[in-house]
Amino acid sequence: MSARIPDILRFRGPALRPFLTLAVFAIAFALLPQYASGEVGTANIANVFTSFAGIGLVALALGLTMIIGEYDLSVSSTYLLGGMLAVKTGGDSPALGAAIAIAAGLVVGFIQGFVVAKLKMSSIPVTLGGFIALLGLVYVLSNSKSINYSDLKVTLKLNEPVLTVFTERSLIAIGIFLVLAAVFAFTWLGRDARAVGSDRKAARTSGVRIDRIVIGTFMSSAAISCFSGALLAYSLAYATPNRTVAPLVFATTAALLGGVSLSGGRGNPLGIGCGVLCLAILNEALAVTGSAAYVTYLVTGGLLLIVTVVDAPHLLRWWRTTKAAENLRLAFAGRPATGARAGGSA
Amino acid sequence: MSTDLATAPTGPGPVRGNPRVTRETAIRAAFYGAIALFAALVVYGAVSTHGFLTMTNVRAILSSVAFVGMVAVGTALIMISGNLFSLAVGSTAAAAAMIFLALLPHGIVLAFAVALLMGVVVGAVQGFLVGGIGANTIIVTIGAASLIQGVALWASAGATILPPKGDTSFAWLNGHIFTFAVPIYILFGTVFVLDQFLRRSRFGRQLKLVGENVEAARAAGIRTGWVVVGAFCIASFLFAFAGVELGAFNESGSLLIEGTQTYDAIAAAVVGGIAISGGRGSVWQGLGGAILIAMISDILLLRGYSEGIQILVKGVVVFAVVVLARLNRMRAES
Amino acid sequence: MTENATPPPAAGPRPLLSVRHVSKTYGAVRALDDASVELGSGEILGLCGHNGAGKSTLVKILTGQVRPDAGEIFMQGESVEFRNPLEAQAKGLAIVDQELALAPDLSVEENLFLGNFDLSLLRRPRAARRRARDLLARIGLSVDPRRPLADLSIGERQLIEIARLVGRDARVLILDEPTATLSENEIARVFAVVRELVREGRATIFVSHRLDEVLDLCDRVTVLRDGRIVASRSTADIAHRQELIKMMIGKELPPPQRSEAASVAAGAGAAITDLTVPPAVASFSQDVKGGQIVGLTGQVGSGTSQVLRALAGLEPDARGEFTLDGKTVRLGSPATALRAGVAFASNDRKGEGLFLEQTVEDNLVATRLTSLSRAGFIRGRALRETARRLIDFVKVDRERIGDTVEHFSGGNQQKIFLGRCLDRRDVKLLLLDEPTRGVDVAGRAEIHQLIRQAALAGVAVLFASTELDEILDLSDQVVTMFGGEIVASLARAETNAELISADMTMSHERKEATR
Repeated sequence: MSARIPDILRFRGPALRPFLTLAVFAIAFALLPQYASGEVGTANIANVFTSFAGIGLVALALGLTMIIGEYDLSVSSTYLLGGMLAVKTGGDSPALGAAIAIAAGLVVGFIQGFVVAKLKMSSIPVTLGGFIALLGLVYVLSNSKSINYSDLKVTLKLNEPVLTVFTERSLIAIGIFLVLAAVFAFTWLGRDARAVGSDRKAARTSGVRIDRIVIGTFMSSAAISCFSGALLAYSLAYATPNRTVAPLVFATTAALLGGVSLSGGRGNPLGIGCGVLCLAILNEALAVTGSAAYVTYLVTGGLLLIVTVVDAPHLLRWWRTTKAAENLRLAFAGRPATGARAGGSA
Repeated sequence: MSTDLATAPTGPGPVRGNPRVTRETAIRAAFYGAIALFAALVVYGAVSTHGFLTMTNVRAILSSVAFVGMVAVGTALIMISGNLFSLAVGSTAAAAAMIFLALLPHGIVLAFAVALLMGVVVGAVQGFLVGGIGANTIIVTIGAASLIQGVALWASAGATILPPKGDTSFAWLNGHIFTFAVPIYILFGTVFVLDQFLRRSRFGRQLKLVGENVEAARAAGIRTGWVVVGAFCIASFLFAFAGVELGAFNESGSLLIEGTQTYDAIAAAVVGGIAISGGRGSVWQGLGGAILIAMISDILLLRGYSEGIQILVKGVVVFAVVVLARLNRMRAES
Repeated sequence: MTENATPPPAAGPRPLLSVRHVSKTYGAVRALDDASVELGSGEILGLCGHNGAGKSTLVKILTGQVRPDAGEIFMQGESVEFRNPLEAQAKGLAIVDQELALAPDLSVEENLFLGNFDLSLLRRPRAARRRARDLLARIGLSVDPRRPLADLSIGERQLIEIARLVGRDARVLILDEPTATLSENEIARVFAVVRELVREGRATIFVSHRLDEVLDLCDRVTVLRDGRIVASRSTADIAHRQELIKMMIGKELPPPQRSEAASVAAGAGAAITDLTVPPAVASFSQDVKGGQIVGLTGQVGSGTSQVLRALAGLEPDARGEFTLDGKTVRLGSPATALRAGVAFASNDRKGEGLFLEQTVEDNLVATRLTSLSRAGFIRGRALRETARRLIDFVKVDRERIGDTVEHFSGGNQQKIFLGRCLDRRDVKLLLLDEPTRGVDVAGRAEIHQLIRQAALAGVAVLFASTELDEILDLSDQVVTMFGGEIVASLARAETNAELISADMTMSHERKEATR
């Protein structure tokens, strides 16, 4: 049966796959005027990079924890927290605000990472507590209201176009992606992170210092997420408390599209960047075609479910062994599916 | 053939005497003791808070328990089945409220039925993805939440849905019997029935087995996929039911009414002492947790703390409880 | 033959590794009793013994996974003590076992240097590539270091692990059943590498059940039995593996306990034809009549477990014909198998067997909830009665029926686990994988009695065991497997310990002859 699911959809192979996915999205976007109303120009590309800057770093933060086989629910709160802290403390010096946001992220990441690593706990219940608590903190800081950022010069500067398609903020986001990509490419840290996600026991037996990697990953993840919130708040000139899980949906989809697997061990920052760009292109395509807000929800939710199903561990087992799947095959193929069973691991 | 021979100890551990007082039970008792202590603290806080022990306040607490309790019980089921929790609680409830109010012109029975059916169907789909093919619960439920929100936005065109003017067919949902709101009775009735059902049905037994160790349950010939689908269906039904009650209470329905329900539900189940790893716990614990959470919110409210502090405290409590539970588990294993 | 008190003189003036009077006790079981081993540089030592003889305890002590109760270990004359595997590795003692410490998602090169501390934080791709190629050349493997490990065969991965340990300058390599899952070619390759490595002054301990391979590869062989070292000899003095088998078995085993009359087939039973589970089992065919006990035996990787799991519906890739009392049973679904009358007890009691945090009662009735309920509701009294009957049946204290299972002893846990498969009318085929793993002698006898009772009641029993005593004790028919294929299927009366040992430890001649 594995033959029936094209390899490219399994997101399991070489690191090339996210780039191919991105190419497909980009070409489809370029061809958009051919089959729908709307035009595509450099302004659209600029928009793509703007939305990349908006939430790409959250996907990177979440993706890092997914690479080590964990899942940090709290990124959607740290993202808000970073924005709120930056707006409240960065009035005189935006750098100070950003630094405070990052420091808060490091503290939060250390606490959560420490608990996950030392108590050998699953990260989901731990970060759930963090998620709710930090959300509360954001509401406390903001008094449940949007808060404006006073220094408009910073806002204008961040949104100033650079080389037509970029803005300063999108360049900053891209820069962070590149820095992490470099860490993955030129140091052993990326390899150790993937080893921890791939087979934690094997990594421990080999002598990888699991705890350091786990705590370090959670710290960088939360710091990146906080900084990302700060960047967004500066460029929008306000920060707002908002309790939807939309950032989580976006970040997870981007990470999965970008070659990260929920079971850990796969993926790298460049791949995640590709995944983010795919979603940014999708958003822009929806905007160009004038789609309503609900379409965004449907498309992102649907896309997330599709990539999750493809990544699901027991999909093949279910497909091969259950009566329901057999009936489904019969219904679609109109003939009993026999002999096509290929060997290999489920 | 005497039992003496059979129980001859082959390893350490008390066997004779009072075998029930094992270290394990002692440790578990310690955990529940900690929760009881926490509950006592909350009660102390309550009693010492001005305005807490008034009938009006008790009624207010119970009204909020009526909604939070319903979703907490649903979350408890998912947690017992070993699949953590759903992040689609609020969206399901909001969508149910919108469906209910929109269909009221066609009669309350149909409105009720369609709203609840929607809950069961979205639950079944999520249950299949989680239990059937092993997809990650968190991701499936946030994806589902997104889809539900999308459909709700599309169908309502972004507008808030109001009941038909002068329609009183649902007023009984907001009524009071012996000074307490009707949904409270519905909640306690539901929990009682559900608890009995879980105790007496095959499903209830299988739910715990699947929750503790899904591979062992599979090897024991249990249809694990169906059990998880069942848990999600009932849970999602309860989310939808809470949504209908909430819609009737607010007399309006939009995506905004989900409020903090999702987090409250999870916090309640965790604080109720249900094992987040699955296999242990009862729906009464979900209800107990909901009452505790509602009391905390109320105390903080009465003492003038903001909504933010309330959420913050819940988060800290969840964090503390899961860490405590894990520490206990580690001590039990060592 | 017993010369355990004084280790034989080592090959060199100062032995590379010296184990002196090491003992280890688990509960009431003396797993290792005053064992002494010496190993000189350039030497390959074989370690043999049946399951439970103490091999794995010795290996665990040497690699820092277990600390001995008594005794000392010397590396190059220096007394050493390991608190964990990493400390053992730092002293140059490294192990390669079946569970490879490699991350499948990483590339070959990344795996080669995984966990190395001597590397600088920065990757120096060219230097690393050069070092990787150098290591790969030393093990004679010509793969691109950038390839993902998942692309490599199990044998190649094993070589990668050896290369990694060589790269960390391991002085003593312990190979624990390394060949069980390898093909002939791969075995030859691993052996060539091992010989090359000892020539450089390292030493190797080769733990294996495959006696031909032990005699082929090793300079000396040490035999363990019941936790004691019973012999340590140069392989040059051993003409045939038959001598080794005699040392391993030691005593004559008791005659079969079941009378011929008891094993007369009562029902049609199970018929298995051409069962294939890629890649573990190829074309397995065997009948198990009602009332008959068929024992499946073979070493790790022989495929016995997969045969049972496939019949229980737990192997999604299994194919083949399986009928029970004439009716075909669809493979791939445990629930379907159970309904057809197949009861299965896994060898992984904790992972795939018991529900440790549930009560004894819940565990005893876990597989029969359907028959104990009506219209989806449990018949409470029937359930309690069944549970009480079963707890008495497996002879566990009935007072403890409401306790959770996790703090029962291994033996009682196993009885509770088996209880849910036993004593029920709707079971036609009983599949037991290592039914007495981790159970003491008394518990073992009781479990064997329960299995015989089931057979007497007309149930077809198919069980897998790696323990010779158990196979000989219980079986009416003994099926020996090797590398996923049946080597021999003989009635109990026609076989004996030596014959089975020979079959399961692989003898090329025999396998060829049966073809």
